[in-house]
Amino acid sequence: MKLQACLAIFSIGILFSGGPAEAQQNRPRNAGRVDLSIPQVDKKDIICFALYTVDHGILKLTAQLYPIADGDSKTVRLEIEKAGKWVEVAKSTVIERGWTAPFRVENWDDSQAYKYRVLHGTEATYKGTIRKNPTDKDEIIVAGFTGNSIQPVHGGDISRQDIIDNVNRIDADVLFFSGDQVYDHNRHYAAWLKFGRDFGAIIKDRPTICLPDDHDAGQPNLWGESGKISTLSGAADGGYSQPGIYVQEVERAQTSHLPDAVDPHKIGQGIGVYFTNLNWGNIDFAILEDRKFKTGPAGRVPKQGPRPDHIQNPDYNPASVDVPGAILLGERQLKFIDQWAQDWQDADMKIALSQTIFCGGAHIHGSANGRLHADMDSNGWPQSGRNRALAVLRKAFAFHIAGDQHLATIFHHGIEEYRDAVWSFCVPSIANLYLRWWEPLQPGENREPGSPEYTGDQLDGFANKVTNYAAANPEKKPAGNLLNTRAAGYGIVRLNTKTRQITMECWPRNVDITDPAAQQYPGWPRTISQFDNYNPPSWGKLGELTFDVESPVVQLVDAATNEILYTVRANGRTFTAGAPKGKTFIVKAGKNAADTVIVEKAMVGSEPKSVSLK
Amino acid sequence: MNDSKHEQMLIWVIRLGAFLCFAGWTWVHLYWEGPYGILLWQDSTYELATRFGISWDEFVGSGAEDGLVQKWLARIGWLYLICTILTLTARKGSWLQIAGLLGGSGLLAVLSYAKYVSAQRQLPMFVEHGGQMLMPVVLVLALVFGVRHRATIVTAMIAFVMTFAGHGCYALNIWPTPATFYAMTCVSLHVEYETAAWLIRVAGVLDVIVCIGIFIPLLRRSSAMYAMLWGFATAIARPVAGMSWSLYYWGTDQFLHEAVLRAPHFLIPLYLFLVWDKPQTTSQLSDREIL
Repeated sequence: MKLQACLAIFSIGILFSGGPAEAQQNRPRNAGRVDLSIPQVDKKDIICFALYTVDHGILKLTAQLYPIADGDSKTVRLEIEKAGKWVEVAKSTVIERGWTAPFRVENWDDSQAYKYRVLHGTEATYKGTIRKNPTDKDEIIVAGFTGNSIQPVHGGDISRQDIIDNVNRIDADVLFFSGDQVYDHNRHYAAWLKFGRDFGAIIKDRPTICLPDDHDAGQPNLWGESGKISTLSGAADGGYSQPGIYVQEVERAQTSHLPDAVDPHKIGQGIGVYFTNLNWGNIDFAILEDRKFKTGPAGRVPKQGPRPDHIQNPDYNPASVDVPGAILLGERQLKFIDQWAQDWQDADMKIALSQTIFCGGAHIHGSANGRLHADMDSNGWPQSGRNRALAVLRKAFAFHIAGDQHLATIFHHGIEEYRDAVWSFCVPSIANLYLRWWEPLQPGENREPGSPEYTGDQLDGFANKVTNYAAANPEKKPAGNLLNTRAAGYGIVRLNTKTRQITMECWPRNVDITDPAAQQYPGWPRTISQFDNYNPPSWGKLGELTFDVESPVVQLVDAATNEILYTVRANGRTFTAGAPKGKTFIVKAGKNAADTVIVEKAMVGSEPKSVSLK
Repeated sequence: MNDSKHEQMLIWVIRLGAFLCFAGWTWVHLYWEGPYGILLWQDSTYELATRFGISWDEFVGSGAEDGLVQKWLARIGWLYLICTILTLTARKGSWLQIAGLLGGSGLLAVLSYAKYVSAQRQLPMFVEHGGQMLMPVVLVLALVFGVRHRATIVTAMIAFVMTFAGHGCYALNIWPTPATFYAMTCVSLHVEYETAAWLIRVAGVLDVIVCIGIFIPLLRRSSAMYAMLWGFATAIARPVAGMSWSLYYWGTDQFLHEAVLRAPHFLIPLYLFLVWDKPQTTSQLSDREIL
């Protein structure tokens, strides 16, 4: 009986050695891990932070609160300062699952800035500024972030003050968090509050775009597959590992302040969609949410490596994984992008924002796991879907900003030929959870003089055509200084609506980016033209068009197929359109929409023409 | 059934549990990849390697060539295969084979530790692998001392408690319930999340009850019977929820081994159920056979 008693105590001890769930959430953690407990705050501090966007006269703001005690009011108010007085403009009831309070204010006057405050009860106040739409600025600055590890082992446990200071120094107009704001797979709420404490000081005063990615949704990789339930460890079977209500909470916290979804029909498990666009400072941002409809590879493609989503065999046939039924962007998304590409109302430039880039953007993963030929978590797969996405994005000359890869890169993508589609800038991680390297075995073709061998034209692991211009590869072995040897940092993109130039900057952590002596990662900065986003090397030029209005919208339509080749806003009163040789095009133009046919049969080498659009 | 046949049946239940566990993990190692990456990409692991004069490129590879890490990760699978065979061939007195099985238990402990580290050091992740880690030990003890020996039964009970206590801690949300618990329940039983959550909490309570129940003579057989059925259900839930006619090989290669390697979760309870099958006469009980 003694032995039985000992065993019984042992078993009960195992069962309760962790304590109750609440204690588990709040108890001191292992010294090597960060404390994610939810702090007890005074009632006056119950509002943690607030995110907002303004688009087409609609302000959407989401206040994120700490848990409200039973019996306390669940109503939150939004006030703005007008003529020195605070005026209530909206009320919201807190959604208890996630403690968010979303506001929506129509007929918003974006021609001037307003101070705002979010109020709860009689004590809690949270203040910020709704900026005016910066249409009068020549340069719109986007600060891009991804991968926010908070773990000491990744160098993620230190303050984000360097980021706060630098964003304020350059006075960024838009913040873009492309994914993995949260790495905890079970406690999004607690981690999101920490994110708010870390970044709230810059988020509260400027439009912020967040795209929840795989780790935010509570899984290591994400192929949303229209809301299917994933049961496979690693989730490569497609769908969501966490219950639908968990995913809904994540998306509510991170995206409910975005402009209304253009096609808000829900997917499986009641999960919403949020793909939409944000027009700010005459820049039209398409917010893609590229994971939502993408199909998982497990069982759908033949096994090619140690994981269903990894291809290790360099001799495999890339076409063998581009299988029917494999989807990247959903039809709804492609339709949205197609319409967005044609709409240039109040837009000088188009930017696509998504979680990750449209190619396999790394060769070596995690170091200890060595070389990986291809990773189906990237948007290089499925190839047909990748090509469809790029084909529709280039119709808008859209520049692409993304993250996810934990490796900053610049790629110029190709579909039929090298460099015939858009450019992408994958920003580095705030703190890098998992290392990757862009390191092709063969030097790239057509490299710029003096550039590293890893740049130039390459086929990625899926045989997609890509041209690399920069890669912030981390150190090859553990080298201390965890943030910068692991290539942590963030991206700054300067969009000049006057010159139509796009400048990509890639900064390491803990430097003053306004200091002339501060060094970016090798390969940055790089400046391209907006028009480089669809300028295939094989194209020629139509005759120059001269207009009697400033910067009209121009559209080329294939005369044989009636398909739109592209739509773009010209810069100034002249425009020399690029086009494939040997084809005939209808050229349309207009002040704000290409609604007038101005040339019936245009070809490469055709005569210049003056056009009146008044 | 006479005692000899009964004991033979018991030993085969244990052999089968160890065999399926090693076979499942062999499949993981040779067809997929062992879960050791989290342990190997550590400064301390590399520092250890450098003490033996191993360079970085030798350790992790040059990029073009595999390093020691990749080569040895692949080789571990062959050790698992050997252990799988040993579960069928080991006999009392074949000390080398028995040592091999104990080594296999060590391999499973390392693997479980890797899973524990990769699960952000959640204790139940290591604990719930107790059934798998101890299955070869139970086999060794059964071969050396006998299937009814106190040491064999006690070890099986520890394995039982670890498996169901670990599972129960997750099911009761003492540590965050893994998303796959909800997912498998929803898909297998065609229920909504709320129902799945309720079912998992109930299962967690029952996990606790059976962990205690096996120490109460009146309840131990029914506890073992329930644990056997529940352990089988949780093991088979993986292929049931994941496999589909539309997948390559119907998803067999993705999901079936997930059930196979969990065989100890239902075969250890079965063993205990059978070993407690009939009352022992006083003459059959020795001071070492008390349970």
